[in-house]
Amino acid sequence: MPFATARTLALSGAMGHLIDVQADVSPGQVATVLVGRPDPSLNESRDRCRMAILNSGLDWPSSRRTTILLSPADLPKRGTHYDLAIAVAVLGATGVVPAAALGDVVLIGELTLAGGLRSVPGVLPMVMAAGQRGFRHVVVPEPQAHEASMVPGMNVLGLRSLAQVVAELRDEPVPEAPPVAAMSSTRLLSWRGAGRIDEVDLADLVGMEDTRYAVEVAAAGGHHLLLSGPKGCGKTSIAERIPGLLPDLTREEALELTAVHSLAGALEPGDGLLTRPPFAAPHHDASTSSLVGGGSGNVRPGEISRAHCGVLLLDEFPLFRADVINALRQPLESGDISVARAEESVVLPARSIVVLAANPCPCGDFHADASIDRCKCREVQRRDYRRKVTGPITDRIDITRHLRGVTPTASRDPLAVRESSATVRARVAAARERQAERYRGEPWRLNGHVPGPALAERWPLSPAATDLVDDQLWKGRLTRRGVTRVQRLAWTVADLAGVDRPGTAEADIALRLRSGAPLLAATLTREAG
Amino acid sequence: MTDDRLARLALSKLGEPGSLKMAGLVAELGAESLHAQLLAGGGSEALRDDVASRLEDCDAERDLDRAARLGIRWVVPGDDEWPASLDDLDTSDPLQGMGRAPLGVWVRGPLRLDQLPSPVAVVGSRSATTYGTDVAAELSAGLVRSGSAVVSGAAFGIDQAAHRGALAGGGPTVAVLACGVDRAYPSAHRPLLDHLAECGAVVSELAPGCAPTRLRFLARNRLIAALTRGTVVVEAAVRSGALNTASWAGRLNRPLMGVPGPVTSAPSEGVHQLIRSGAATLVTRAADVLELTGSMGEHLAEPPRATPRPRDWLTRAQQQVLEAVPLARPAASDSIARTAGLGLIQVRSTLDGLARRGLVEQLPTGWRLAEAADQG
Repeated sequence: MPFATARTLALSGAMGHLIDVQADVSPGQVATVLVGRPDPSLNESRDRCRMAILNSGLDWPSSRRTTILLSPADLPKRGTHYDLAIAVAVLGATGVVPAAALGDVVLIGELTLAGGLRSVPGVLPMVMAAGQRGFRHVVVPEPQAHEASMVPGMNVLGLRSLAQVVAELRDEPVPEAPPVAAMSSTRLLSWRGAGRIDEVDLADLVGMEDTRYAVEVAAAGGHHLLLSGPKGCGKTSIAERIPGLLPDLTREEALELTAVHSLAGALEPGDGLLTRPPFAAPHHDASTSSLVGGGSGNVRPGEISRAHCGVLLLDEFPLFRADVINALRQPLESGDISVARAEESVVLPARSIVVLAANPCPCGDFHADASIDRCKCREVQRRDYRRKVTGPITDRIDITRHLRGVTPTASRDPLAVRESSATVRARVAAARERQAERYRGEPWRLNGHVPGPALAERWPLSPAATDLVDDQLWKGRLTRRGVTRVQRLAWTVADLAGVDRPGTAEADIALRLRSGAPLLAATLTREAG
Repeated sequence: MTDDRLARLALSKLGEPGSLKMAGLVAELGAESLHAQLLAGGGSEALRDDVASRLEDCDAERDLDRAARLGIRWVVPGDDEWPASLDDLDTSDPLQGMGRAPLGVWVRGPLRLDQLPSPVAVVGSRSATTYGTDVAAELSAGLVRSGSAVVSGAAFGIDQAAHRGALAGGGPTVAVLACGVDRAYPSAHRPLLDHLAECGAVVSELAPGCAPTRLRFLARNRLIAALTRGTVVVEAAVRSGALNTASWAGRLNRPLMGVPGPVTSAPSEGVHQLIRSGAATLVTRAADVLELTGSMGEHLAEPPRATPRPRDWLTRAQQQVLEAVPLARPAASDSIARTAGLGLIQVRSTLDGLARRGLVEQLPTGWRLAEAADQG
């Protein structure tokens, strides 16, 4: 039969498209043509495939016209993982492998001239997409079999060479082949701080009871957080400890996150499923595309997607460029980010807890407490700076906290209880379980993600609490968006306290968290003991 | 063991704290004879009826033994440890039908009540904000560092923050309770009270084992005010027990101080009202408090002042000239004189003077401000 179809996948953002690679080998002007919007790097695939087939001891149809179509033909295609499917399709067309064997298997991998199978980025999301399309068999390069087998119910075949693939498809004994290299990148540098985030604990910090409670709420309900305060008051320290308060990812979340990292090519060999919430803290020089995703060629997930299900800290956030800050609006609201390019628009998940940290002024020394104010900025500078802090972004932030510097009094208090991250994590996990129970069957998991209308209609606050919140709206102290944020916060406060429905006490705490007003000390008695 | 001590103990158990009737009769008859009368079924009729139900179950010596085993001592007027400042209660007007000095106080902890160094009460709302608790802790730490003792009520909120601030500052602190000194109320403050009993003092006029009631809290507040040289209210809503303590400080003519909060904050409303009505003095830091509670002239606080600048020392004429000197483009002295509205001769000599101070500089084309003047 001069015609065969093999299956592989194309990725655009977090979308996986099933690609039929069709090869037709028939008489005509001798040539090999590749159609279906391949990009230039994919055109090189013809040469790799031809040499790989020849060097595997098989025949390339060199006396006939070979047409290879990547369909659907309108989708732009990039990358080197099509090699295996192209080679196998050609071999199917020449009858080397039975065309019928290609029907239910997805082929992923790059070929070497010797016929070896090399690793490619993005295997996990591709296999996930294949699984969702009902495929149960997938062939991947041997080093990536582990990554592919994270997808439940998938029959993964990790092979070393084209010859092995052919033998497997023909149901013949699989020949030996030299092992292939894993993804070529290895970490050249390892630095002392690499595992630091796993080491830090909430118990290291003294005082800051107000902020401790705020991060507990943020962790429990997935709420965004703004921390402001003079430099050195512990904004970064406490933000770094939020990932430690989050429970392990669910299997579903872990797959999403690992898939994003696989897309970014950031999955290091030996990394299994990522089960701990990630932490990303891009520098304030970061470009928009590095933060939200983009880049030339394939759209690579940005830092905000790599922090999916975890914590994204923007330290010194007023120093970020204005366009970068504005690009954050969408992910803050919807939990995903769409990156529009000339030819395509991709949507990537970006549902992290965003923590903004800001100094009170450019020099960082301004303090409302006159006795320790050492600010040297001019009033104009301070005003410009504050304008960046308050704006459309901060309206999308659920919790605002103003930190005071920790005084020696706090660290010398003999009765201070310093809770460890594990203690708080247990409460966060319990609160998250209550949310999971309540939102069973809904597409959202946490209070911070519940759409406003659904919240108002199906999970309203108690009537008295609603009055309290509406009162703030009347007085102009809250926006409509702010009301929704306060309702979400009130639910999280109730979940942490084990209260079935938020009442006025919970609403009051939520209003304080939102407005930056100091909390009632009674809220924190657990810690103050 | 004198009989007066035992009689006072028994009488304190027979009556409620702050009882004017009991205190009046003790002052009139003496504790011993009043106790003897009551035991004999005599004494003032009204009082006899009040105490009848409690009379049977009263064994002062047994109570004293039991308390001693718990490390609790009974301090009465005339003892070395009796704080003389409590006696002022006998001469002040009653408040809400309560008053007079207690018949004695129970003390648990190593601190001696007569040796409290210039004690200050730091009190406030139980439903305080973290702003209030932070301020109370800082203030108390500052007070003990300057050698004062901090007295409060070991309640939630401001009280506990005040105690803990004083402990953090490494200084003496005393909790006055509305229940027996062996009890923990609120129960969550058991660690705090145990700690205070170990390195400070826990005081009450109620016998060990007694439970707190609303009225006992009001009676307790008069002891907090009377034990101290002044009372600082940190956060108090319009209905707060701390305002009762404040009223007692007023009755006793002791300085009353208030720490302001945000004007929008409900927990600070009571304090703001105290300050507005003139009852309390506004304080923001330990030094302000010490100025009012320390011995006369001991802790004069330097008012916060802006750092002086060269311009501050100039005469009016000099300032007028300086204002007229341009910033960048030099001007001739006659043009400066015109702008300043002063005579040319005076302007010239003033400019020379300003130049000596380094505020203006002379260029071939005229005068302009030197860089130093920029900051003036």
